[in-house]
Amino acid sequence: MKKIKIYALSTCLWCKRTKKFFEDRKISFEAVDYDKADEAEQERIMAEMRGKGGGGSFPYVCIGEEVVQGYDPDEFERLLGCGKK
Amino acid sequence: MNVEAGKKALRFQFAPIVDKLGYKFNPAEEDVEFLLEAEVTFQRQYGIPYCPCQARTRDRAENMKIVCPCIPFHREHYDAMKRCWCGLFVHKDVTDPSALKQIPPSKFVKRKE
Repeated sequence: MKKIKIYALSTCLWCKRTKKFFEDRKISFEAVDYDKADEAEQERIMAEMRGKGGGGSFPYVCIGEEVVQGYDPDEFERLLGCGKK
Repeated sequence: MNVEAGKKALRFQFAPIVDKLGYKFNPAEEDVEFLLEAEVTFQRQYGIPYCPCQARTRDRAENMKIVCPCIPFHREHYDAMKRCWCGLFVHKDVTDPSALKQIPPSKFVKRKE
């Protein structure tokens, strides 16, 4: 199973839907709420996102080595190699 | 001002602005309520209704680009999606907002090139 990491904002509707997508499929993931993190962690997250061509738009989902920015269930399913639920 | 009054005030404030930009509030009322509640919280905390789905950093100039309604700062990108990033607003001609996808800023730049 590919490692899944989600950078989110606690205020973001699409971040909540992204987490729910994985929860509904009982796929474990690591999630960090950027706005709840300390300043050093925020800078690290932003540097990582910018390093991979993303800005400050959330959600930001790493599935294995691939990155999906935004809520995109079709792309999540494609990268996970699973069908629609 | 309580949350409900804050949401009502933001609706009143935003509606004429986005109308002139060719947008309207998302017909998905539940989503709008959620997003406005987050903006009311930001307004109480910082005095500014930031976008709930974009991060604030220490760069004030960049932060100003995510003050709602942030459509003018991301016009081409949002027009391509027919919605703003958080989905509070959609193009006036949109009747089914569930069909609209978020296009990552990086992919939008690639499309333009």
